[in-house]
Amino acid sequence: MAYMTNLYDSSKCTACRGCMIACKDWNQLPAVMEPFKGNYSTHEDTNGDTFTIIKFMEEEDPVDGVRWNFLKYNCFHCFDPACMQVCPRQAYSKTEWGATIHDPDKCIGCQYCTYACPFHIPKYRKREDKIAKCTLCADRVSEGLTPACARTCPANALKFGDRAELLAEAEERVKFLRANGFPRATIYGKLELGGLNKLYILTDTPDKFGLPIDPHIPKQIPFWQDWVQPWLGWLIPLAIAGSATSFVTTRILANKHAGHEEHGAHVEGGHE
Amino acid sequence: MQLVPEYREDLERVERFNLVARVTHWGHTVTFLLCLFTGLVLFVDGADWLAAIFGGYGGAGLIHRIAAVFLTLFIAFFVIFDFKGIIDWVKDLLRFGKNDIIFVMKFPLEFLGFPVKMPPQTRFNGGEKGNSMVTPTMVILLVISGYIMWFPSIFPAGLVRVAYPTHDIAMVFATLMVCMHGYLGSFHPGSGESFWGMWKGTVRKDWAQHHHAIWYEETYGNKAEEEEA
Repeated sequence: MAYMTNLYDSSKCTACRGCMIACKDWNQLPAVMEPFKGNYSTHEDTNGDTFTIIKFMEEEDPVDGVRWNFLKYNCFHCFDPACMQVCPRQAYSKTEWGATIHDPDKCIGCQYCTYACPFHIPKYRKREDKIAKCTLCADRVSEGLTPACARTCPANALKFGDRAELLAEAEERVKFLRANGFPRATIYGKLELGGLNKLYILTDTPDKFGLPIDPHIPKQIPFWQDWVQPWLGWLIPLAIAGSATSFVTTRILANKHAGHEEHGAHVEGGHE
Repeated sequence: MQLVPEYREDLERVERFNLVARVTHWGHTVTFLLCLFTGLVLFVDGADWLAAIFGGYGGAGLIHRIAAVFLTLFIAFFVIFDFKGIIDWVKDLLRFGKNDIIFVMKFPLEFLGFPVKMPPQTRFNGGEKGNSMVTPTMVILLVISGYIMWFPSIFPAGLVRVAYPTHDIAMVFATLMVCMHGYLGSFHPGSGESFWGMWKGTVRKDWAQHHHAIWYEETYGNKAEEEEA
């Protein structure tokens, strides 16, 4: 099955936050109130009960004046997700069409995924002692529906469909934007981290949208997962095997010496 | 087959570890092993049967944290009630020298049971000095990285990421040492008497003279008596 994904077009988004409401509605998530922090964003970051947010980024340019960048921020459903690599309970899985989903029944709330994720997306939900994040509405998609956010978007800034088709569409759109007042317009999610199952049309460079230009999995994570976890632990059975060998050989050798060397230095020295 | 040498009350004995050291040692034995087995549940992939012993992954996590808190408290207990003991211990470790190197070099033969003549040792022999340096260091790393992983939101994210591999590496080296230490301190025929040193507090005088000649001489020998007089 081909990859199915959301294409988000920041040039069309009006930041109405309809997607946030639809997400809360479908996933039955309670409201999370955060105090005003001098920014139009309702939340600084996603949280255990808020899978998607609209970020408002104000940018002052000496030529263009003030520009407002909107970004729908949520799980990027990486093709090779770090959360899935580190999860000790294999709670994460990829659907055949590319969504990274999380099984709360397996989750033990260790939060390894939160800190392995280059975007810090999986969030701890304290009331359940579990992690929660965007599912790309895998439950809806499996029934032939589109994700709640994409369905509700009134500005057509969100579109759900086949990733290859949406990518072609995004490339056309970026060409258009570059020729029409957005020379730095770009696609995000095509190549980042080996490909993300979320596509973004940005009107400016990713850093202007609070996104890392070259996201990478923190290097401690592959060191931990590829070296420490699979290999280092073998030292423990080695120690046990060594002790077992010594247990046998000491007793064999003790019997041997006891035979012809009744009162040797070895025995006198307190060796039983 | 005899596993641990017999406890001989009829022979003269000398004190090796005081009560505080022994309580700390065995407190750490219990809490470390509890932490180890509840922790292996996550380290070894698919250890469902191991988790089941502790009432599932949730239960294992809870026991891991409770045991970890007690493990920390035993460290505090040792520091509060026998700080001088820790200082003396560290001082002995700092005496690591030629005799200790010779001991460690010859030790593989002794380990397998060949008769070896060892140079005189201080309170802790070369191998014990190594264990005394590695294991507490690893346990301190485990404690620090453990609390960081327990409360990640109050620490910088970079530190939390370092804590994960640190906890695993420290666990492996601590467990490696604990395996060897557990065996050498009990079932190994040569050093088995030291089990009673940690269990009852005393060891046979002749064993102490043979295995820790320098320590015996300084603590119970003529030299010590002269100093007291």
